Amino acid sequence: MVKVADEAKMLADIREILDNYPPEERYILAVMQDMQKRFNYLPKAGLRMLAFYVGVPLSRVYAMASFYKAFSLTPKGQYVFRVCDGTACHIKGSETLIEQLYKCLGIRPGETTPDGRFSIETVNCLGACALAPVVVVNDRVYAKVMPGDVEKIIREYGGYAHEGKNED
Amino acid sequence: MKIMIDEREVMAYPGEAILEVCRRENIFIPTLCYHPAFKGQGACRMCMVEIIDSRGQRKLVASCTYPVSDGLKVITSSEKIRKIRKTLAMLIAGRAQASPFAQKMAGEYEVKPFFFKGFENEKCILCRLCVNACEEMGSAVLAAVSRGVDKRIETPYAEGAEECIGCKACAEICPTGAIEVKEENGQRIIWHKTFDLIKCESCGREFATPEQIRFIEDKTGRKIEKFLCEGCRKRQTAEVIKEFSV
Amino acid sequence: MKEKMKIESSVNKIMVCCGTGCTANGARQVLAAFMDRLKDNPDFAVVPVLKATGCNGWCEKGPIVKIMPQDISYCHVKAEDVDEIIEKTLLKGELVKRLLYRDPVKKEFVTSIHQTDFYRKQHKIALRNIGEIDPGSIDDYIERGGYKALEKVLKEMTPDEVIEEILKSGLRGRGGGGFPTGLKWQACKNTPRFPKYIICNGDEGDPGAFMDRSIMEGDPHTIIEGMLICAYVLNAEKGFIYVRDEYDLAVKYLGQAILDARERGFLGENILGSNLCFDIELVRGGGAFVCGEETALIKSIEGYPGEPHDKYVFPTEKGLWGQPTVINNVETWANIPVIILHGAEKFASLGTEGSPGTKVFSLVGKVVNTGLVEVPMGITLREIIYEIGGGVPEGRQFKAVQTGGPSGGCIPASHLDLKVDFDTLTREGSMMGSGGIIVMDDTTCMVEVARYYTNFLAGESCGKCTPCREGIRALVEILTRICKGEGELSDLQLLRDISEVMQEASLCALGRTAPNPVLSTLRFFEDEYIAHIVDKRCPAGVCPALTTFYIDPELCTGCTLCKRNCPVDAIKGEAKKKHEIIEDKCIRCGECYRRCRFKAVKVR
Repeated sequence: MVKVADEAKMLADIREILDNYPPEERYILAVMQDMQKRFNYLPKAGLRMLAFYVGVPLSRVYAMASFYKAFSLTPKGQYVFRVCDGTACHIKGSETLIEQLYKCLGIRPGETTPDGRFSIETVNCLGACALAPVVVVNDRVYAKVMPGDVEKIIREYGGYAHEGKNED
Repeated sequence: MKIMIDEREVMAYPGEAILEVCRRENIFIPTLCYHPAFKGQGACRMCMVEIIDSRGQRKLVASCTYPVSDGLKVITSSEKIRKIRKTLAMLIAGRAQASPFAQKMAGEYEVKPFFFKGFENEKCILCRLCVNACEEMGSAVLAAVSRGVDKRIETPYAEGAEECIGCKACAEICPTGAIEVKEENGQRIIWHKTFDLIKCESCGREFATPEQIRFIEDKTGRKIEKFLCEGCRKRQTAEVIKEFSV
Repeated sequence: MKEKMKIESSVNKIMVCCGTGCTANGARQVLAAFMDRLKDNPDFAVVPVLKATGCNGWCEKGPIVKIMPQDISYCHVKAEDVDEIIEKTLLKGELVKRLLYRDPVKKEFVTSIHQTDFYRKQHKIALRNIGEIDPGSIDDYIERGGYKALEKVLKEMTPDEVIEEILKSGLRGRGGGGFPTGLKWQACKNTPRFPKYIICNGDEGDPGAFMDRSIMEGDPHTIIEGMLICAYVLNAEKGFIYVRDEYDLAVKYLGQAILDARERGFLGENILGSNLCFDIELVRGGGAFVCGEETALIKSIEGYPGEPHDKYVFPTEKGLWGQPTVINNVETWANIPVIILHGAEKFASLGTEGSPGTKVFSLVGKVVNTGLVEVPMGITLREIIYEIGGGVPEGRQFKAVQTGGPSGGCIPASHLDLKVDFDTLTREGSMMGSGGIIVMDDTTCMVEVARYYTNFLAGESCGKCTPCREGIRALVEILTRICKGEGELSDLQLLRDISEVMQEASLCALGRTAPNPVLSTLRFFEDEYIAHIVDKRCPAGVCPALTTFYIDPELCTGCTLCKRNCPVDAIKGEAKKKHEIIEDKCIRCGECYRRCRFKAVKVR
């Protein structure tokens, strides 16, 4: 349940982001980037206010939000595991890492653990091909990750043990 | 200006697309995503034709978006074009497995559909005519959302849209019957939203939603005094014209 | 070689590579350690200048620290090494030998990375400043001749002369299309409508490529200068740099560079006292591979989903907001100032007749020296992979090289002497593309590679036109069933037929080139497809359904490497004794197969 105070704060935050840009269609993308950064997803209220602000139908804003990969329409976890599945990482075994994450966290790319702590995403290429395979957790880059490292990394963030069972 | 279509000289106007000229001249080119009310979208690619450019080179283009130029030579059917259309028919029928329209088309092109997994109940071919119709005639609540193979037509959040007026312009233009409309007990259900229906004051047929009436009133700035369905309205207009001509 | 080497003149510059690769390996900590130790250090009469530079390209060896003017390069530097570097090299003038690069063939220590084979074959134009300057400092850029080309065009050249020079250089778009840049500018100049717009396409999205990222992060001003020169030609007032938002360092440095350029009067009104008025806005992309396509990128800047439309009228005539627009990619812009300053002849003397100049490649995958290289066009794939790249590591066998990203194709060993330029690779069913070179060895399954690329495009296609969207869907479905061992021989013809129609009927270049990975692997590695379909076997040991691993007891030395790396504990065996794979537990990830140094792990 979202508390009333939280919601008021969110609306104020959205307002603040919108105020940084003129009400023109070409700033839709920039506003969305800012919202994504602030809330970790694009709240419904944010998209509504944005559509109204620049004067376009909600459907257009929603189409954009669902088109670009940088945006998420549901809240992401506190720690987002971004597994690079660029070619270099792929041929060095990124798929095994995704499998390992699934074993440990019980979620697949695009999903979030029920407690909202972890999300997994695959990204096309982080441009760090020389370090393949690469996993990024929030802003921290893990290079040359081996399947055996996955559990260790998860533990660094207070994560789960095996088979998707919650440790705590 | 003059252009050549299949060795036939025809008149064309600057800014027209090849397909528009062909439609006027009754030259058949198959289309799925084209409707004369809208601009060519270049999405379905059924209308691919070959052109011969000024250097004599043949090039495949979408006739619904390719602008005419003086002296342009167009070939509307060739081995290549037939192969493209056949393959597209195979793919479209493989996608829209529940659409008799798409299956019939595959039959006409004599191809066996490539039945995709998980599309057993699909009817939509993503021609986006509904999106265009909603934008032009309705309140722009429909959009082609997501991308790649996950592209689909939806209202935001796949729920009833506040702005939707239930005019069903989308369903009427849909070539494959992919948009579900339920009308019973004086109500219409479309795109996750339920509307009341207003009866025609002349024939009693249920024909519009109050939201639709209000939308038209807002757009035209004129209050609609008498609720008449399209048929009855036409008849009434005809009566008025008859009176004047006497 | 002597144990101690005297270092002559006094130290004045320490350059820590802070490119993405080095940063991920701890370069920032190294930088911080230097900063900490140098601050108020009484041992120095003159405190050395500390600089964080962009990517040196040799990511494999990072973090790299260079000490100038002596030109000493240290590899794999850690924060713990900083004290020793200060103590020995900076204060006593001695080399820290253990941090030097050791030539694997000659077994000699190499003082500077510039003397290594990795660098010697390179010729840096687009990357000329990267690794040598602090990307956050406009003064560094100016010190190395920056904004001199702008000054030259404003003072000495007419717009037509500039176009003439670019045409003469033969520069072709580095983003993959290879369209002559001069012709593009000319077409836009000849469109008599204003305003005109200039766009830098920094939406690098090829998986396995990071050329543009390095330039944007390492030398942002060169892009601005290139765009300014074009602005002068077109009399344009507004430019946009569209950059992937995931490239946060690039966003940061480009933003800073724009501010600094404005402050110094390189952007804004009456630039350098001329009539030129031009400003640049940074647009952060939303993450869509298809936005690398010009018309999609334009849509994205305008505030729509990045769906391309038919390009029967070019953007030079009808581009951003319907106005004449020039779009060039990052690397193309980076070449412009050099062509203007040093002349078209000098540029055209490099490379081949049809593809003059150099090209930046990101060399990755199963190759010893992964990293970023800039080489004259016309160089062979063999030279890049073996002479610069150092060949395939761990004694594995080279199988194929993939060029051009998802739009490119795979080239087998028999074709390694192909010249790398725009036209040769395209003729062979691949393409140079934006410059990704991915080396694959015998542990890479070519059917799975085709499936990987096609599946990548399934999510990256915009989904607007039927041949691309449904064609890719069909290709993925067919390739997936082949990888699962459920394919039929007739599938091969079906793949070819669908591919052909996609090439001919798709709306944009993404769809038209999407079948390339499938077609090129079918052409050169059809036997692997057949092995999957007929023999129900994946020769590379990649496709889980068709792979069983076993350990050859004759070859196993009991080194335990496989056992330690097995993610599911599916290998039993004690140290120095024969190991064995427990088949029920094995997930067929291939980790043991790839790691075994004795080739004892086999694919059945």
